[in-house]
Amino acid sequence: MKKNDFSHSRREFLKKTGFASAALLSFSALSSVIPLGNGKAGNWIGPREAEAAPVKEDIKDKLKATFGNRKIEMSHVTMKAPIIAENGAVVPVNISSDLPMEAGNYVKKIYIFVDNNSNPFIASVDLSPANGRAAFSLRIKMRKTSPVRAIVETSKGKLYGTTKIVKVTIGGCGG
Amino acid sequence: MSKKISILLKMLVFPAAVMLVTGTLGSMTGAQAATQSGSKIEQLTQSMSYAEYQKRYEKYYGNFTAQMAENGNPADFLIDDGKDLANKVVGSKGKSCASCHGKDALKLKGAATTFPKYNAKLKGVMTLALQINTCLKNQMGAKPLKYESYDQLALTLYVKSLSNGMPIQVSIDGPAKPFYEKGKIAYYKRHGQLNFSCAICHVKYAGYKARSNLISNNKHHADHWPCYRLKWGKTGSLQRRFRGCMKNMRVKKPPFQSEELRNLELYLTYIDNGDRIQVPGMRM
Amino acid sequence: MPQGIGKIKIRLPRTVRKGQIITVKTLIIHPMETGLRKNKKTKKKIPAYYINDVSVYYGDQLITHENWSIAVSANPFMSFDLKVDKAAPLKIVWKDIKGGIYQKTVQIEPR
Repeated sequence: MKKNDFSHSRREFLKKTGFASAALLSFSALSSVIPLGNGKAGNWIGPREAEAAPVKEDIKDKLKATFGNRKIEMSHVTMKAPIIAENGAVVPVNISSDLPMEAGNYVKKIYIFVDNNSNPFIASVDLSPANGRAAFSLRIKMRKTSPVRAIVETSKGKLYGTTKIVKVTIGGCGG
Repeated sequence: MSKKISILLKMLVFPAAVMLVTGTLGSMTGAQAATQSGSKIEQLTQSMSYAEYQKRYEKYYGNFTAQMAENGNPADFLIDDGKDLANKVVGSKGKSCASCHGKDALKLKGAATTFPKYNAKLKGVMTLALQINTCLKNQMGAKPLKYESYDQLALTLYVKSLSNGMPIQVSIDGPAKPFYEKGKIAYYKRHGQLNFSCAICHVKYAGYKARSNLISNNKHHADHWPCYRLKWGKTGSLQRRFRGCMKNMRVKKPPFQSEELRNLELYLTYIDNGDRIQVPGMRM
Repeated sequence: MPQGIGKIKIRLPRTVRKGQIITVKTLIIHPMETGLRKNKKTKKKIPAYYINDVSVYYGDQLITHENWSIAVSANPFMSFDLKVDKAAPLKIVWKDIKGGIYQKTVQIEPR
C-alpha cells in the first residue's frame, strides 16, 4: 500500500495557516462558546496506522507474464459491474461472452484482473464445452477505484477482453 | 523600525479579528442548539417524494444490491438455522418454541407484523428480539441470548420470515402513543458533537449526497431487517444500524434494546405501516 | 465470522429441460481472510485463510475448474452456466489453503 504523501503545496499551506488555526483552536477551547455536545472524545477517528505494505505488482507485468506478447482484442466479451461500489469488499462482477462453445472451438479460460489491487490477479476459470455458454459471475474485493479487466482465452489461442472502471468510495455514512 | 511595528501590529490584529468572528458564530450556534434541544419537534419539509428518491438511487447505484440479494444472500443460512433453533429444546422447563407455537413455530405466521408493540408488563415497547428473549427466560427457563449474536439473529430472522409478504400493521393507539411520541422526538432531536438529528439527513436532505453517499429516504427503512449488510460482511439488526449512525453523529450510543432505541424502532416501523415485510434484506 | 464455515447453498431453476442451458448459483460461508488484515486489538496480522480451488463435476466429468486469489469476497458467491444433456449428479468441491474440503452434490433431473 502506498503511503500518504501530501503534496508540497498542501504542506506549505498548512504551515502558513498554522498560526491562525492554532489561535482559533485555543480560543474555542478556552472560552467553550462553541457547543461540543455530549459526544465522547474517543469517538474521533484518529489517523490510520501505517500498514506493512505488500509489494504491489504492476498490471502490465502481470498481463505479460500470463499472456506473453499476444494481442488482446477488445470485443466479444461483456461485463456487468456496478459504477459505484460503496464497499470495496464486495463488488459483484458478471462476465459473459457470445463466443461459441462447441467441441474444438470453445472458451477455454476466463481471467479477472483488478489493476490497483496489490495482487491484480483475482480468479481464473477453466471452462469446457459442457458449460454451453461462457458466463461467470463472482463477488470480488477491490482496494480502491480501479479498472476491472475480463480476459477470455479460446481453445484456438485467441484472446478477447473488456475493461470497466468501478469507483470504490469509502463512505462517510454507514456505521 | 516602523516596518517592524507594522508587522507586530498585524500579528496582533489578525488573530483578534479571527477570534471576534468565531466568537459571534459560536454563540449563534449555541443559541440555536438551545432552542432545539427541548421537546419541541423541529419543522422540516421532506426534500423529495419517495419515487423521486428511487429514481436518483437507480441512476447513481443501479440495481445491483437487489440483484445480489436475489442471486444469493448469505443471511438465508440464518433462516435455516433459526428453524432448527425453534425446534430445539432448551432451558429448565424442557420446552422448545415448537411446544407452544406448533411444529417449526408455524403458528407465529403473521405475528411479526404487529411488532414493535406496547407491552403492559414491560410498561414500554416490546420488540421482536426482546420478545424472543423474554419467552426464553420466562416460558422456557433458558438463558436469554446475547443481542446481535448468531443465534439471536437467526431466531429473530426465522420468526420474521414467517410473515414475509404480509403488510406491517403497527398500532400506536392507546398506551403506545406516548412511546411513539418519544420516538418521534428522538428522531427529530438534534444531539451529538455535530448537532445532527436523524431527520436532518433522512427527511430534509434525503436524496442528496453526503460526500459520495446518497442519503436514503426514511420510507422503507424498517421493513427488511435483520439484513445482510455488505459493509459489515455480516447480518445485523436495525438497532445495530441505529448505533452505527449514532457513532457517526458523535452521540453516546445507548445499549441494545434500551428504551431509547426501542422507541425509535417503533417510530420508524410506524412510518412503514402497510409495506410488506421482506426479510432477509441486503444493503450496501 | 467463523460460525458455519462450509455451509453451502446451490440454486438451480425449478424445472430443467433437456438441452437447456441453465445458470447454477452457489454460495458458501467462508471468511476468506487475505492475510493482510490486522487484528485491531492485538495489532497482529490475521493469518491468510481462503478458498483457492473450486471444481465442478457433472456426472464424473470435470467441467469447470477455478483458481481463486485472496481478492474474492467473504462468503463467496459464484455462478456458472451448464448445458443439461443427461440426468446426473452435479458435484461442487471447494478447497481452502488450510486443507479444508467442502462439497455438495445436487441431482439434475431433466424432464
